[in-house]
Amino acid sequence: MLKLSNVYAGYGGVDVLHELTVEVQAGEFVAVVGPNGAGKSTLFKTISGLITPSSGSIEFLGQDLLAVSAAKRAHLGIAHVPEGRQVFASMTIYENLEMGAYTRAGQKHWQDNLEKIYNWFPILKERQSQLAGTLSGGQQQMLAIARGLAAHPKILLLDEPSMGLSPAIADEIFERLIDIHKNSDISLMLVEQRVAEALHFASRAYVLEAGRIILSGDQDALRDDDRIRQAYLGM
Amino acid sequence: MDIAQLIENLLQSLVAGVLTGSTYGLMCVGLTIIFGVMRVINFAQGEFMMLGMYFTYFCVNFLTRQFGLEGIYLPFVVAMLAGPVIYLFGDLLHRGLLNKVSGQQGSKLEAGGHYAQLVLTLGLALLLQNAGLYFFGSTPVSVSTSLSYTAWELGSPEGISVFINQAQSLAAILAVGVVLIFGFLIAKSRLGKSLRAAADNPDAAIYMGIDVERAHRIAFGFGVGITAIGGGLLASYAPFQPYIGTEYVIIMYAGVVLGGLGSIRGAFLGGLSIGILQQVSATLLPNQLQNTVIFVCFLAVILLRPNGFFGKSGRVA
Repeated sequence: MLKLSNVYAGYGGVDVLHELTVEVQAGEFVAVVGPNGAGKSTLFKTISGLITPSSGSIEFLGQDLLAVSAAKRAHLGIAHVPEGRQVFASMTIYENLEMGAYTRAGQKHWQDNLEKIYNWFPILKERQSQLAGTLSGGQQQMLAIARGLAAHPKILLLDEPSMGLSPAIADEIFERLIDIHKNSDISLMLVEQRVAEALHFASRAYVLEAGRIILSGDQDALRDDDRIRQAYLGM
Repeated sequence: MDIAQLIENLLQSLVAGVLTGSTYGLMCVGLTIIFGVMRVINFAQGEFMMLGMYFTYFCVNFLTRQFGLEGIYLPFVVAMLAGPVIYLFGDLLHRGLLNKVSGQQGSKLEAGGHYAQLVLTLGLALLLQNAGLYFFGSTPVSVSTSLSYTAWELGSPEGISVFINQAQSLAAILAVGVVLIFGFLIAKSRLGKSLRAAADNPDAAIYMGIDVERAHRIAFGFGVGITAIGGGLLASYAPFQPYIGTEYVIIMYAGVVLGGLGSIRGAFLGGLSIGILQQVSATLLPNQLQNTVIFVCFLAVILLRPNGFFGKSGRVA
């Protein structure tokens, strides 16, 4: 459904990503793991259009994504849950969700999605008229994910949802992602530094280092790979 | 001057301050919406007010001459029309000029495009002023009707009486009306919320599918349109010439900073306060010090409450 082929991209003429080829099938839960600075956020920004690749192609549902402006990509069904949450701090939780549902599909399925979101994250319903800026980090992360879901996306891009959260809260977020994946037909693409968790939850993963995919495979294969065990899993 | 006289003068200037301050407040709202959404400081804002004034002046004259339309309310109706007309002008200016130095394209320039914005909006101000001078002439004109010279008198048994100018009152009511409608639009409508989202976090707004460049264009159009309405209303009771914008842009900035940058309610209350301050100080101090008082207060606010009095910090648009 989403396919990046030989993508080179970066900032100010310097490529961060090199020869990147990544694919996500419909309904899949795919992780991209790797250390800080590997280019994980750059990858997502390239998919959502904030960065234009210097070469390569991106295809989404058979459509050439590079011909679509950044703001229009959300309407095609790509929801980006950015690094550091980036909720609309001066707006209420409810308004944040409404902005999530700015896409055509989001508007059409608003009531249904709102119900599902409040089921997954009851705290958001309780605090729906509270300003997002006053929420704790974990709650903001839930809101950022919920805002992405409100768009009624076909794929959800999750950029380090565990960042800055306590292990308990991070686990809760991961549990919720599993719920979402099981109970919807949304594909998930997760970028994570917490490699163990990511490999535990995702069915397939890519390992990104210094802007290149150095390894890819399904959950079990990667967890058994010696390099992964030594570098990331501490075994 | 006896005490009754002083009270009468103070009350009179308070009334005048509230009435003119309401129009200032409206113009401040126009300025703040541009800053709040685009993060652009528009030095040409006073010139858009001037355009609103001349639009009102020429339209009223034209309608009177061509269609024999007359009436004390005509300037006020025309002043409202200045809004959409100047909105369109702002839309074009954003497409052709501002767009290049703000938003996505601005972020590629030095200091996020702020230097370029400064030079561009200052240049625009000069251009509009001189175009005004060329086309409209330097002689002050006015759009006064009999309403401008009519006042209600409120008297008390103690012999204190206060006059309430009818043109100023009508202008103030319309100004407050526009602010309320616009505030409601920003707070409740889908468009308004998308403008606030674009102001709050432009990147995240793009992730939501909001066209941030379009949001900027709309905010700029609204901002200059609203200020033009303020100019049209002001024109109904005060004479003006092409350089009037310079005088008022300072008042607008003082009001916006007083109210806290980026807040609509704050901008309106800031403009209102400036109006009251200006009129009351004129009663107590020599006329030449009228604007000095505004700046002393302005500096005091910067020193003591840099976030302004009415703006919640972090609250935009």
